[in-house]
Amino acid sequence: MLSEAAIKELNEIRQKYPDASAALLPALYIAQREFGYLGADAYEAVSNALGVPKAIARGVGTFYAMYKHKPMGRHVVQLCTNVSCMILGAEKLSDFLKNKYGLEPGGTTPDKRFSLVIMECIGACGTAPAMLLNDDFYENLTEKYIEEILEKYK
Amino acid sequence: MEKVLLKNIDNPNSADINEYKRVGGYRSLPKAFEDKPQEITEMVKKSGLRGRGGAGFPVAMKWLFACADTKFPKYLLCNADEGEPGTFKDRPILEKNPHLLIEGMVISGYAIGAQYGYIYLRGEYPGAYHILNRAIAQAYENNLLGDNILGKGIKFHLVVHRGAGAYICGEETALIESLEGNKGQPRMRPPFPVNVGVFAKPTVVNNVETLSNIPLIIEIGGEEYSKIGSPDCPGLKLYCVSGYVEKPGVYELPMGTILRDIIYKHCGGIKDGKNLKAVIPGGITTPVLPPDKIDCPMDFVNMPKHGSMLGSGAVIVMDETVCLVRVCHRTLKFLEHESCGKCTPCREGTGWLRSILERIENGAGVEGDIELLLSVSGNMLGKTFCPLGDGAASVVQNYIKHFRNEFEEHIKNGECKYE
Amino acid sequence: MITITINNKEIKLEKPVTVLEAARSAGIKIPTLCWHEQLEKYGGCRLCLVEIAKVPRLQTACTLMAADGMVVRTETEQIANVRRGILEFLLINHPLDCPYCDKAGECELQDLVEKYGPAKGRYKEKKRKVPESLEDPVIVRNMGRCIMCTRCVRMCRGLQGAAAIDVISRGGHSHIEPFSGGKYDCEYCGNCISVCPVGATMSRLHRHGYRPWQMVNETETICPYCGVGCTLIVQVRDDMIKRVVPRIGSVVNNGLLCTRGRFGYEFVGSKERLTKPLIRIAPKLSADSYQLTANLFREATWEEAISLVAKKLSEIKEKYGNSAIAGIASPRCTNEDNYIFQKFMRVALGTNNIDSAARTGFAGAQNFIENIFGQGATANIIPGLSNSDLVFVAGGDPTTVNPILGLQIRACSRNGGNILTIGNFKGIEYCSPQKLAPVLYTEDVLLEGIVTALKNKKGLSGANPKLEAKIKDISTSIEDVKNICKIKEKDFNEFLNILSESTNPSIVIGKETTQSNGASYHLLLLSAINYLINGRIYLLSDRANEQGLLDMGCAPDILPGYRPVSYMEFRRRYESIWKSEIPEKQGLTIFEMIDTARNGSLKAMYVMGENPAYNLPDSKSAESVLKNIEFLVVQDIFLTETGRLADVVLPALSWAEKDGTFTNMERRIQRVRKAVNREGMEDWRIISEIAKNMGEKFNYSNVEDIFNEICKASPLHKNLTYEDIEKGEGIYPYKGEPLRDVMEEIRFQFPGSRSQGSDGKLYLRVERPLFHSGTLSRKSSALMKIYPHAVARINDKTANMLALQNGEMVRVSSKKGSMELPVIIDDMVDSSYVMLTNNFEGKGAFSLLAYQIDPVTKAPIIADMEVSIIKGRLKK
Repeated sequence: MLSEAAIKELNEIRQKYPDASAALLPALYIAQREFGYLGADAYEAVSNALGVPKAIARGVGTFYAMYKHKPMGRHVVQLCTNVSCMILGAEKLSDFLKNKYGLEPGGTTPDKRFSLVIMECIGACGTAPAMLLNDDFYENLTEKYIEEILEKYK
Repeated sequence: MEKVLLKNIDNPNSADINEYKRVGGYRSLPKAFEDKPQEITEMVKKSGLRGRGGAGFPVAMKWLFACADTKFPKYLLCNADEGEPGTFKDRPILEKNPHLLIEGMVISGYAIGAQYGYIYLRGEYPGAYHILNRAIAQAYENNLLGDNILGKGIKFHLVVHRGAGAYICGEETALIESLEGNKGQPRMRPPFPVNVGVFAKPTVVNNVETLSNIPLIIEIGGEEYSKIGSPDCPGLKLYCVSGYVEKPGVYELPMGTILRDIIYKHCGGIKDGKNLKAVIPGGITTPVLPPDKIDCPMDFVNMPKHGSMLGSGAVIVMDETVCLVRVCHRTLKFLEHESCGKCTPCREGTGWLRSILERIENGAGVEGDIELLLSVSGNMLGKTFCPLGDGAASVVQNYIKHFRNEFEEHIKNGECKYE
Repeated sequence: MITITINNKEIKLEKPVTVLEAARSAGIKIPTLCWHEQLEKYGGCRLCLVEIAKVPRLQTACTLMAADGMVVRTETEQIANVRRGILEFLLINHPLDCPYCDKAGECELQDLVEKYGPAKGRYKEKKRKVPESLEDPVIVRNMGRCIMCTRCVRMCRGLQGAAAIDVISRGGHSHIEPFSGGKYDCEYCGNCISVCPVGATMSRLHRHGYRPWQMVNETETICPYCGVGCTLIVQVRDDMIKRVVPRIGSVVNNGLLCTRGRFGYEFVGSKERLTKPLIRIAPKLSADSYQLTANLFREATWEEAISLVAKKLSEIKEKYGNSAIAGIASPRCTNEDNYIFQKFMRVALGTNNIDSAARTGFAGAQNFIENIFGQGATANIIPGLSNSDLVFVAGGDPTTVNPILGLQIRACSRNGGNILTIGNFKGIEYCSPQKLAPVLYTEDVLLEGIVTALKNKKGLSGANPKLEAKIKDISTSIEDVKNICKIKEKDFNEFLNILSESTNPSIVIGKETTQSNGASYHLLLLSAINYLINGRIYLLSDRANEQGLLDMGCAPDILPGYRPVSYMEFRRRYESIWKSEIPEKQGLTIFEMIDTARNGSLKAMYVMGENPAYNLPDSKSAESVLKNIEFLVVQDIFLTETGRLADVVLPALSWAEKDGTFTNMERRIQRVRKAVNREGMEDWRIISEIAKNMGEKFNYSNVEDIFNEICKASPLHKNLTYEDIEKGEGIYPYKGEPLRDVMEEIRFQFPGSRSQGSDGKLYLRVERPLFHSGTLSRKSSALMKIYPHAVARINDKTANMLALQNGEMVRVSSKKGSMELPVIIDDMVDSSYVMLTNNFEGKGAFSLLAYQIDPVTKAPIIADMEVSIIKGRLKK
């Protein structure tokens, strides 16, 4: 079930589109926030709210890379490894996260503090390598800098 | 040259409406309203402005098609799904100069008779999402958006719609599908979006940078604008440069600036004095260029004559330390990940190409693999539903075309010699 | 006129079509996989790429519209390479398990690879593997074989309108699955199976059971289940039905089937089928205790059984008179069977005591509506629903009673039409209908409100003075609707606006209406709505030949051709053809038969293909009457509850084993054809033999003889032949004369007094499940696997109030009896109902029902049965 606040938010968003189904992507974001990830409950809630068949909602949700389909850690490290970042060492940073924090691509630390998602380009190529930590950009990354950044997220 | 698109962006408050107004913003809007919509389109036609998203389609032509359709309402969509790797040119506009985009959209909406606009923003820009929403709220407060803009009886509403991580949504029909709440898979054409677009209504989709050029055109006039940059492809262009250069970043330059000048004059040359090995001029799906092919004017008309494409103007510079098999492999890995899965050659071919490249890069390539790459990519080229699959095939063919020896070396030595 | 050139062949096109269609029209084959003629265009597989002169890029023939002057080439070296390349892509992840795959032999991928190559693979990596899924009772999936053509998805979301499956993930990870990721939660129509080009989704019923090329016999016939009358192709090997498939282009169902039609055929080959005539040797016991007494009957020869029946019936007729015998005809039997049955009753036994289960709703409702609008008022073309701009549904979920008709309603919605419903119907929820759901027993007030508002809006035209006279004084205000029905004014007004603005409306009426308290009044109000919006009426029919049996005269008041028996003119006509006198007096309805038998004046009954001891409301009472009747003959394919009470049981051939015709709810006459050989006799032949044994001339050598007699005798079917039917000319009013001017006064009865709203009480409602149909579906193991046992459905509020968990055993009781069964919590059930099915042995909802008869429709009113639910089993 979505919270009352979420339903209110969803109804407001719904008004921004001529068709209810157009609110599906924003609705999935809301459901992901509410449920932590998009499981059957989340899809059913969205399906009921918008009248989009649940199998279709799930088909749409799984098409997009930014919807999560399993529980995530409290903070999500989204490290870019696309070409501009890769040639400047992003893959080494990924190895660093694995060795130092036990954080594997797609994985979550046992203390549920961090999850690591390997991103395609995040539009920070001029300051590569770069990552998004939750909603915040961090650029010109080095191993040391990553250590400092992660320290801020408990 | 004074910056227009990136004007004032070093100011920490540049995204604020008052700051934007202080440096001359929202002056084109009332000016535009003095003209008839057709006159604005005419002005844009004279300006020679081409779409900055990658295809370089004449903007006024798109507008005219949409105007000619009698269905209402019409929609104006801003393509802010800047997903082509290496591209980060729209982000400074979205984050630092959002009112320029809004002003451009209100004018464009007025010109094409659209009363509703959506900014389809890539999900990977959460910061821009909040900034745009704040800017839109300010614009509403200042009567620059709404049912009766500036009291002129002109209506335009604007909504930011967040994508959720799908490169293919940069393709305009996939973007429309996605906005409607579907999977971002390209649509069949015809019908074209200008006739049957979002919600089955006439729709113009323009890139962020494209729409941000509109206020300048209004300000200085189409003719004056057409004098900037290349005669066949005029105007301002944002080039975003990454990789091994001394000063990577976004550069606002006249369209048609020579690639070599961008790298050496504006970006300070190759980082640490190393040798240049290859340049991707317009995002990773545009054909890679070897060092001797970079004396080309960076515009939509001239780049194809030099064996590549302007694309999004995303220049990625690679020095001698970079393994191009690895770059090629990474590019295919990206395209495999982003293939929507609708058409057979792209769905199956991108993964197959990636796996062949993977074994070559890992030292497990065998003789005949290069021919296999060429054959498989040949079976994709020209057969896919949309340009993504074509891009994947041509990437492989271009790397082999210019750097075949590097592939051969990998296979012969059974290893990658780069770190 | 568009002229295009394909492979140097000039093709003229009357209307704009795709290049693919143009090519096919000229006999040029372009290979395709994702394209399917029933489905929306997709353009995904890329197999149909062709060269277009002056266009640099290859184009997909399936999406490109042919333009005048276009020059197309489909068989160049380049195109051959493209096809080989695309097929290679499809094969890299496709398991080459053709020797094991049931699709081999009719696999489109296999055929294409055989034709275009490649001869060998160049893919060195591991293939994607997906294990076989046997999670579903009727569908087996091998999704590793899936080539992502998405035909199944487009079928499910488009034509079926169920949206139960979709493509999950993207790119090379794309795969198709239902919401659960595992088992389907769907209508099991199997239409996805029809369109799958490879062996990814197949019917589980014939898994590893045969090879397509071993199918020796294929017969086109009509579905035995509901009144829609879908065309089926029955595929047979060794006289066993191996598979049932639809045919694209068939008039009613056009390539679609429902779960019953596709998977419900196994009863034909059931081991429980009766094989020999049975004669009673032990006293009668109640119907459910038969298992204890296997030796109730002895097997007999046909000669013995037939002469026994003939003798006993003659004796009873002699001793007690013609009206001491009655017959029940069957809506599952053919027109020919039913014609012979009523002729036997009228000619050999001299009685009009003929009726059928159509009396439980359809017959009276049709009669009522025809009396207002004229004969044939309900004979409307089913696919026409999809072209309506509005469908108004009352009294039943069309998607479960008549599933393929239900799809037309979904299609109407997809085409932009409005769907309005009185109450909640799960199967049309997908259409986002505009709903008005009045509280219990206030439907008449709501309908009056609608009639009043429509009258005010549109006025009375004067076209039908007889109807107008009955409705002119109806005046129920919006206030009454609000207060009594508890409906919001806004919802009512929206509903009414849509209704009144419709220009091409259809009204669909189900059995809940015809079995409601005040059924005839409800029908009057619905007819008034139909009149005021100038619509057409569809009357749901849950039996394959319910309409046909009425048209054959299997009713106490009508002769073949739907002619009233009370008119001398019509009696004379049949008397001259049958060379026998026909009693003037109307016969007994099925309920009157039970009552008359109870009071002892009905002595014998002949039941053909019906199960009144189970299928009539208050079935226990019917059972005890039938048990005590002097002589009971039951002719059926299984030993039903009624059969167990019989003195003589006659085994009949089933629908698949005989020829004949069915008349569907559109009144379209269609050919039923023998698909399977089996020893035995058709219903008509058994009866003819008995008639002959009684000295009557029933000399028919085949069904066509009978049909020709029908068409000679019945003014409605005048001069119709099997040949006409084959040509598709069996459409009402055929070549005959509908009866238009014989109309009577419109009579109706107001609902009896009762509470409005449920007052917290629970009432029994009959669930009419998609997966079952009467008692026939019990013998189809596939349907039983989908819906295996009886359940009681209640709303979550009711469950909470009674502290019941899903699946918990409960005891449902009424004043007529009680039964134990598990409870299912279902949001779509109204909170004042307990829904029970009448399909499962010993758990029939009808056994808990009492009924009254609506004096006009003569149908039972069963809507007001109060029930209680208690947790747990009864301690024994």
